[in-house]
Amino acid sequence: MRRWENGWRLALRLVLALVAVGFFAFPIYWLAAISIKSPEEIFAYPPVWIPSGINLSGYVALFRNGDVWAVWNSLVTASVSTVLAMILGTLAAYGIVRYRPGGENLTIWIISQRMIPPICVAFPIFLLFVSLGLVDTFVGLIVLYTAFNLPYVIWMMRGYIQDIPPELEQSALVDGLSRWAVITKVVIPMARGGFFATAVFTFIFAWNDFLFALVLTRSEVVTYPVQVTGYFGSQSTFWSQIGAMSMLGVLPMMLVVATMQRFIVRGMSMGAVKG
Amino acid sequence: MSYNKPVRRGLAAGIAAAMALWPAAAGAQSAADIAVEAAKEYSGITLNVLYEAGLQPLDPKNFTGPLWEELTGIKINVIEAPVDQMFTRTMQAHLADSGAYDVLNVIPNQMPDLALAGALEPLDAYVEKFGFSAELDMIAPVYRDNQMRVEGTIYGLPDDGDVLILYYRRDLFEDPENQAEFMDKHGYALAPPTNWEQFSDIGQFITDKYAPEIYGAGMLRQPGNAQYLFQERFRVEGGKFFDEQTMKATINSDVGVAVFQAMLAENDFMPPGVEQWGFIEAFNAFLAGDIAMTISWPPVGRWAAGYGRGTEALNWIPETTVADTIGYALPPGGRPELAVGYSLSVASGSRNKEAAYLFAQWMNSEEISLQRVQLPYALRDPFRTSHFESEEYRSRWPNAGDYLDTLKAGAETGLLDLSLIQTDRYEEGIRQALSRLWGGEDPQTILDDLAAQWDELTERIGVDKQKRAYLDWSNKPNAYPN
Amino acid sequence: MTARVNELADNTTVLKYALVAPAVFVILLIGLYPFVQLALTSVQNVTMFGADNSFHGAVHYERLLGDERLWSALWNTIWFTAVALPIELVLGYLLALLFLQPLPLRRTLIAIILLPTVISPIVAGATWRLMLDQRFGPVNQLIGWIIGRDVEILWTINPSLVWPAVLVAEVWQWTPFMFLILLAALSNVDREQLEAAEVDGAGAWTVFRKVVLPAIMPVVVIAVLIRGLDLFRVFDVIWTMTQGGPGTRTETISIYAYQMAFREFEISYSAAIAFLVIVLLTIAVLVALRRVEIAR
Repeated sequence: MRRWENGWRLALRLVLALVAVGFFAFPIYWLAAISIKSPEEIFAYPPVWIPSGINLSGYVALFRNGDVWAVWNSLVTASVSTVLAMILGTLAAYGIVRYRPGGENLTIWIISQRMIPPICVAFPIFLLFVSLGLVDTFVGLIVLYTAFNLPYVIWMMRGYIQDIPPELEQSALVDGLSRWAVITKVVIPMARGGFFATAVFTFIFAWNDFLFALVLTRSEVVTYPVQVTGYFGSQSTFWSQIGAMSMLGVLPMMLVVATMQRFIVRGMSMGAVKG
Repeated sequence: MSYNKPVRRGLAAGIAAAMALWPAAAGAQSAADIAVEAAKEYSGITLNVLYEAGLQPLDPKNFTGPLWEELTGIKINVIEAPVDQMFTRTMQAHLADSGAYDVLNVIPNQMPDLALAGALEPLDAYVEKFGFSAELDMIAPVYRDNQMRVEGTIYGLPDDGDVLILYYRRDLFEDPENQAEFMDKHGYALAPPTNWEQFSDIGQFITDKYAPEIYGAGMLRQPGNAQYLFQERFRVEGGKFFDEQTMKATINSDVGVAVFQAMLAENDFMPPGVEQWGFIEAFNAFLAGDIAMTISWPPVGRWAAGYGRGTEALNWIPETTVADTIGYALPPGGRPELAVGYSLSVASGSRNKEAAYLFAQWMNSEEISLQRVQLPYALRDPFRTSHFESEEYRSRWPNAGDYLDTLKAGAETGLLDLSLIQTDRYEEGIRQALSRLWGGEDPQTILDDLAAQWDELTERIGVDKQKRAYLDWSNKPNAYPN
Repeated sequence: MTARVNELADNTTVLKYALVAPAVFVILLIGLYPFVQLALTSVQNVTMFGADNSFHGAVHYERLLGDERLWSALWNTIWFTAVALPIELVLGYLLALLFLQPLPLRRTLIAIILLPTVISPIVAGATWRLMLDQRFGPVNQLIGWIIGRDVEILWTINPSLVWPAVLVAEVWQWTPFMFLILLAALSNVDREQLEAAEVDGAGAWTVFRKVVLPAIMPVVVIAVLIRGLDLFRVFDVIWTMTQGGPGTRTETISIYAYQMAFREFEISYSAAIAFLVIVLLTIAVLVALRRVEIAR
């Protein structure tokens, strides 16, 4: 009896879960389908739900004309800025937790740097970058994303580091480890889960940015969201390229999310609970 | 670089054609030759050229760029931006004096703003120096006289014959049964409409008979596109944008309201959801044979006729079903909108102004431009008298002659897009008004709001200053129909 | 906690600041100049037609006060944030509950649900616009099948449907963010405490209020703060779906600021707008942070 009831509840939950997954996955499926549809199917009325064949011309075009570099540019800027932000942010968070420089004011000032809408500062930053020669360069975008993600990293990491018992660190110090070794050998491994979770969202924030990339790139480091807007021409719409580009962008992210999930799910709360 | 095979063939053909023309031009050197000769001095530099993203850049990337480099040793680096970013990019680079671009594509009705801001280089001296006047004069009058100068100074070389003409299904119009029925019902012959009443009669007639398989018409309704149809119609029906004395907006006149009401009413015989249609939607519906009439930019006329079929750059276009039945005509009222378009300009911040100008002159010249407007994937539409008359172009598909004749007629009677100081703000008002119209609000209220919005803008910019800009525009031969 | 910190603090003031300095430097590198530049230009008069760098006082700020379009954009933004945030929070919470216990294919399904967050908002907006298109989109077709006849629903045009349409896209993209954070938080709630409460015969509501909520509260606060700030700056999704229309119905503060700065190049006026936004946000966030302090 009990087992039977459990079975029903599980089935119900599974059905609900599948409905939810359907809602979140359907638009992605639609993009994926578009990326392999023939032009007639893309512009068919009524819409075609399942492509009749596989038409890879969108993908071919991306590789042939080099637009695929935009995905690469996005990967480079997002990942390098994530690494930098994680290193600087974790150190800063550690410093804030253990030494409290500047007290509460510093942490509040830091979070206040994340609340400014990009559009408000995009133009002055553009002027700054022109004078520094950073427009349309990797360095420019990377520095920018690093700066904009630091507050998020510091706030999250601060929470995770607060979770680590200071006794652990102390015994490591007594064992003769340097302060630096304590951070790399004790603190980061201890906060590993939170560290990865923060890194993934840091990456996503940089990856998704549109406005800064729009204003600060021209041709060399055009990122994927900016490149996509170019497919909506005044007299052309390259849906198959939009679909293909989106799939190319989603695939690496899907792998990252799938493999890191263990860390993310476990790590997300650990520090934040005490945040 | 190598986009695909047909293009490489096109490049080879282009070089051959350019070579072939040299002896002929030996007596009086052609503008293209002069440009090439003079540009050799700059061999080794790179010119940054701003182009609208999409199909437009394929011309400099695959055809003119490589050819120019071969002839002069100057490299062409194409920088792409979506159409609504063209102005932004140009102005941004100018304000920061970044020198990012050398050659610019400028939408003619934004030229006054860019010129006034100092972003564009005056070109008169270059035209004089490199003997381009004669060939510049051979550009179709409407573009030459309207899309080249701001207050008498040359700021751009008109380079694109954008005009919104009517495309219709000859098979439906010429069907004897349809003709007889239509004559019975309306008392005149079924033919491409010459005024908007006829347009409604025909549209309704076809929808009544064929819907939902075929609707009478499917028009550009997305505000960004529909604003041009509105601007055209408003003036054809006798409307004026402003009072010439006071600079008060008169967009909310009875004419404005009547045009809004008519546009709304016409949606009834168009496919459901037509309010969402832009270029792509209307084009695809026409290709699929779902609509009997549409008014749009010239590429529709070429691509729907099958020109460029099989070109890789056009492989996103569905197979046309109307290749043999497409007909061309001027839109109702006979004064088509010269919507958008492009002129080639030189950025004032360019570090290589002369070389930039020479590239523009060369692209814009009689011999090179004729090849450019015939690139199957190109979005540059015929804009020189010689393009309309080109035997080669006229033989590209069976009724290409009709197509070119219609474009030519449009190039004589066409109406200019409104152009003032801060044009975009005025256009934005029209766009917003149209989106409210499709949203179901009252036309009079919308237009009263629009007029108030325009007046406030004019007030802020300065009535006298704006009046001067308006008069500069409205005194151009094709600003208002007369 | 302070005591524990002190135990560890070796008296190297160098380290105290050295750890924080690089991060602060990078933030300042990008953050300081724009701030000063905005402050200056907002009291000058810079437009696309020229820069008048003399002091103009508060003229642009005065203009802000009378700018109805600005206030309606601000109102739209606040409204949008206030509606989307709770929806995302509640949906995310319910989803997290659903996935908290073992489920076949759990990990795969979670990965799929997260996909919307990695598809840039610009693509998300374009995709939803296509999905909701009368001619090319499957949504209206689906509705037609369900009710048994063809429908004509103009999601991005009808003034009363355009906000729901934009909300769907936004909620679709960012609920997974809330979901993941809450899932993590919930999976850390002490199981023994939960069971003990249940054994005590506490009702579901009491368990939630007494055990679950206190445990996840800090996470909820951070998630709401981050998401709230992001919602307040919403641009891409709405821009691609409606461009702020019909009229200015879906125009948010970022869209209006974009128009002013990057289409009209009213540099000084948009600097004033930016300053206003920064001030308002600072107040809002400071108030919110005080609340967090209390919640701790």
